[in-house]
Amino acid sequence: MAFKELDPILHSQLRLAVVSLLISVREAEFTFLKEKTNATAGNLSVQINKLKDAGYIEVTKQFSNNYPQTICRITKKGIESFEDYVSALQSYMNLGTP
Amino acid sequence: MEENKLSENESLMLITEMISKAKSSYHSNGTGAIMWGIIIFFCSLFDFFQMQFKFDIGFDIWWLMFLALIPQFYMMFKNGKKKNFVSYEETTMSYVWGAFGLSILMLMFFNNYYRPAHSESLFLMLFGIPTFITGGMFRFKPMILGGLICWALFFISLYTDLKINMLLMALAACSAWLIPGIILRKKCSLAAQQANGI
Repeated sequence: MAFKELDPILHSQLRLAVVSLLISVREAEFTFLKEKTNATAGNLSVQINKLKDAGYIEVTKQFSNNYPQTICRITKKGIESFEDYVSALQSYMNLGTP
Repeated sequence: MEENKLSENESLMLITEMISKAKSSYHSNGTGAIMWGIIIFFCSLFDFFQMQFKFDIGFDIWWLMFLALIPQFYMMFKNGKKKNFVSYEETTMSYVWGAFGLSILMLMFFNNYYRPAHSESLFLMLFGIPTFITGGMFRFKPMILGGLICWALFFISLYTDLKINMLLMALAACSAWLIPGIILRKKCSLAAQQANGI
């Protein structure tokens, strides 16, 4: 049986947490992701950029009441990669069970 | 959250944790339901008393429904500014309740134009639709029951006159929105107390 390789972009704690959050909502602000992941703003910002560069999420920056707002949404590619990642995880788990 | 290497098990646990965190972020405090429940309850009961005691205030009491839209929009705007995410459920709900509001409006125009008999039955039928869907989506039994009660009252209203139908509308408002809204509000304040460790 061939192993499905785990997507290195998703196989990282914070990036996986962000994508798992974004898969459950239509869109989320940076503050929501920070609050739910307990990550530092700097680290979260770096990981969001990596996900954006991979095309897994789209990021919109705007102003609301004179405050900058960063809104993140998962893309179609992000959803497909997440589904592939979960099915790869499941195949690993099934292999581990007797 | 640190950048550690994850095992397969940890990955699955993290996904589950984050999805459940996101899901639990969306909850209604029931204010909208309570407000609409009170308005429909009050208007129906007032209409009933007008017919029972034969008095007229000179305008249609149901116009209050439109007046109630002002605080409703204000609340939506205020809550929207506070929120930092948009859930799929919320989007679906706004379409369902938006469609309901438009249908009610169209039915009111239809009524004013054709003045059909027993149109209150159609209102009762419409009341049941968004209530039942909302209850089903959030697995909130009081609203599922409220929707079913509206539909049961629809059948009863086919055999009763306009005056009694106003009482049935009041009963529908209580069971579909007012009581579920109060239950939601209690649940919400209990959850807030627990979160604050009170």
